[in-house]
Amino acid sequence: MGLYTLRRLLISIPLLLVISAVVFTLLQFTPGDPLDAYIPPDQVLSAEQRQILKVDLGLDQSKPVQYFKWLGRAAQGDLGYRIKNGQPVIEELGRRLPPTLLMGLGMTVGVTLGIFFGIVAAVKRYTLLDNTLTFLAFLGISTPAFLAGLLGMYVFALKLGWFPAGGYQTPGDGGALDILRHLILPAMILSVTYIAILMRYTRSSILEVLFQDFVRTASAKGVPSYRVISKHVLRNALIPVVTVIGANVANLIGGAVFLESIFSWPGTGQLYLDAIDSRDYPMIMGTTLILAIIILLANLITDLMYGLIDPRIRYS
Amino acid sequence: MMKRSLLALTFALCTLGSASADKVITGAFDQGPGGAPGQFNPLTNTAGFTWLNKYFSTLVLYDPAFKKISGDLASSWTVADGGKKYTFVLRDGVKWHDGKPFTSADVKFSLDLANNPDSGSGFAAKFGNITRIQTPNARTVVLTLSKPNAALLDAMTNFMILPQHALGKIAAKDLRNSAWWRTSPVGTGPFKWNKLVPDQYVELVANADYFRGKPKVDRLVNRYFKEQAAAVVALKSGDIDFSYLTLDDTKTFNGSAVKILEGSSQVANYLGFNNASPLLKDVRIRQAILQAIDRDTIVKQLYGGGAEIANCPVTNSKYVPKGINAYAYNQDQARQLLKAAGWDSGKSVEVITYYSDQLSKDVLVTLQQMLGQVGFKIAPRFVDVPTYNQITGGSDFTMVYAGIGNGPDPDTLYPSMHSDFIPPNGTNRMKVSIPALNKLFEQGQETTSASTRTKAYQDMCALVNKQLPWDVLWSAKRFGGVSTKLSNFIWTPAPAGGRYDDKAYLWDTK
Repeated sequence: MGLYTLRRLLISIPLLLVISAVVFTLLQFTPGDPLDAYIPPDQVLSAEQRQILKVDLGLDQSKPVQYFKWLGRAAQGDLGYRIKNGQPVIEELGRRLPPTLLMGLGMTVGVTLGIFFGIVAAVKRYTLLDNTLTFLAFLGISTPAFLAGLLGMYVFALKLGWFPAGGYQTPGDGGALDILRHLILPAMILSVTYIAILMRYTRSSILEVLFQDFVRTASAKGVPSYRVISKHVLRNALIPVVTVIGANVANLIGGAVFLESIFSWPGTGQLYLDAIDSRDYPMIMGTTLILAIIILLANLITDLMYGLIDPRIRYS
Repeated sequence: MMKRSLLALTFALCTLGSASADKVITGAFDQGPGGAPGQFNPLTNTAGFTWLNKYFSTLVLYDPAFKKISGDLASSWTVADGGKKYTFVLRDGVKWHDGKPFTSADVKFSLDLANNPDSGSGFAAKFGNITRIQTPNARTVVLTLSKPNAALLDAMTNFMILPQHALGKIAAKDLRNSAWWRTSPVGTGPFKWNKLVPDQYVELVANADYFRGKPKVDRLVNRYFKEQAAAVVALKSGDIDFSYLTLDDTKTFNGSAVKILEGSSQVANYLGFNNASPLLKDVRIRQAILQAIDRDTIVKQLYGGGAEIANCPVTNSKYVPKGINAYAYNQDQARQLLKAAGWDSGKSVEVITYYSDQLSKDVLVTLQQMLGQVGFKIAPRFVDVPTYNQITGGSDFTMVYAGIGNGPDPDTLYPSMHSDFIPPNGTNRMKVSIPALNKLFEQGQETTSASTRTKAYQDMCALVNKQLPWDVLWSAKRFGGVSTKLSNFIWTPAPAGGRYDDKAYLWDTK
């Protein structure tokens, strides 16, 4: 397995190269360049001033030169500086990742509860409980994140006043408890989607396994039903569920944008959007690279998890 | 054990006590069109002045109604030599936040910096004709101009004076993105920089030595919101005390916890034409477009009455002459004009806009329908600002829907309408090139007589109204919401959040 992991990691390098090259090329086709975004539409700058800025930002060089310069520095761990405010890209990312990972708590809760409710629904299939859970799951899946976010904020922040209406911390506070108080509402709303999706996956996946011969045999041998579920059914049923979880890690990093916006949560999704909006090439490239690495790692971990869940799966 | 919990309790009570004694006003000061969240360099900023002027000061400033300019760091000034010589006398006893005295050298330093191309400052376009800056003593600054500029004081109301002793060591080029702006800026304003928590908030503390008196509150906090809606919810829930609001937002407030403030946006919305393109060269087509639009209905239905019809880009009523053509809604006449001009009703014209809010989308769809009724097809295209800048910086476009802020002094329109500023030389993106218009703008700058100046801008307004290089539609109102807990709070919608005397040192909270 160690060799397998190493090989997978090595394969990632050319993959990352291709990703960065593709993103850089695509950027060149986006209308408007960083200079157009950097200078507000009503700011009067002379041609001389524009040229100074261009040289300063390295935008006067040819595209391939720009790319290879970026690549050379990135290989040494230097992702350059944001055009927008001259801050190091790494620093900005470093600041934005912890809030995003905290949001991951919402995902963890969602995954746990989702799998749990999925098992319950499958075991109690076609009962009132199952139907209610299924109904709620469909409601959860079909409610867009921004709507759930606004609703949640309206009810829990505005009407009930249980939680603050967005933000990462109270100005002047920022202790662990304060951040937690700000985290609960968005994390809870984020978890709703995961609960709903994973419940559906777990339920159908378990049902597929539940009627197979080896399960019937185990039950017939007198194995208690909780053991049948945990030892025999779950091991087989969890493989597709793990795949879904892995795919959603990427979603969390790049996709919780709506929730981040509504709750003014300073995460990576917002940073990415903002970078694209201002054509901030170094920031876009840096964020893409880091996101790509995280996604590749998530995929690798997912694949390794298969082996843990189902020992029949071998890596060679 | 008992002792320890008692201790903890006492400690908690103590911190509670000190927290409540601390008066704080928290606002979303960078929300809305006048904001520039996270941008702290007043040399390159074109917005965000609502916040920057809490810790930096200008030489002069407007009153909240934008009628009169009075002194801030300057106690008085005189204009001589036919408008080519400005002498500012500086206020006595002003100190920088770090305790160093404020002198005329700081003013010279700031102006030199603005005119240095390396600083990337847009003020260079406004101060470019300053040829000499003299500082005969610590309290006097004399500016000599190559030609008269009556709009200089207006520009000065947005120009923050910077400390030479803190910035003199940094090269102009490095100053643009220097960390100084975000970590330790030093100003002369009513509040002092305390800290920035990136992406979240900035905190200022009262400047006890402020030259107009110690502020009533201890701290001023500017919170950042990515979404306007989030700021509105925070205002409603009492998390913040102030935010900019849209017209729709104002309707969702009831009760007495929030007071709604309103005022003119000082922005004229217009349909702009690429004046270099032959397609709409015939003035009859541009007249027809304006007459085909039922502006009264749009203002009433879409803006809920929160806009005023405008017939030239000047928003200050003082400079709008009586009797200019109102281009009343008349579809028949529009059809005739289009026919007379030989307009091909099968042709469709793309209208580019950088606006992305719902109101603007509704406006464009309505315009599309109204113009379609007279046989002028348009196709709206919503783009982001960099795309808009790139397209309109070139020549491959026909029409735009945009807004131009011009505030109290119409000279602000100069770089958008004078032919010297056609891209790549500036921001006359519609490529307006009317020699008579150029003359009037130049006259407005060069005259020292107030009446001649008024006349020049009235003539400018009338000329634009007649020749229609842009079809000006209306000027909308803007809104703010402020917690009723606050007293003495002054906020006026202003171009770029511009500099007016909001007396922030008197702001108070219960």
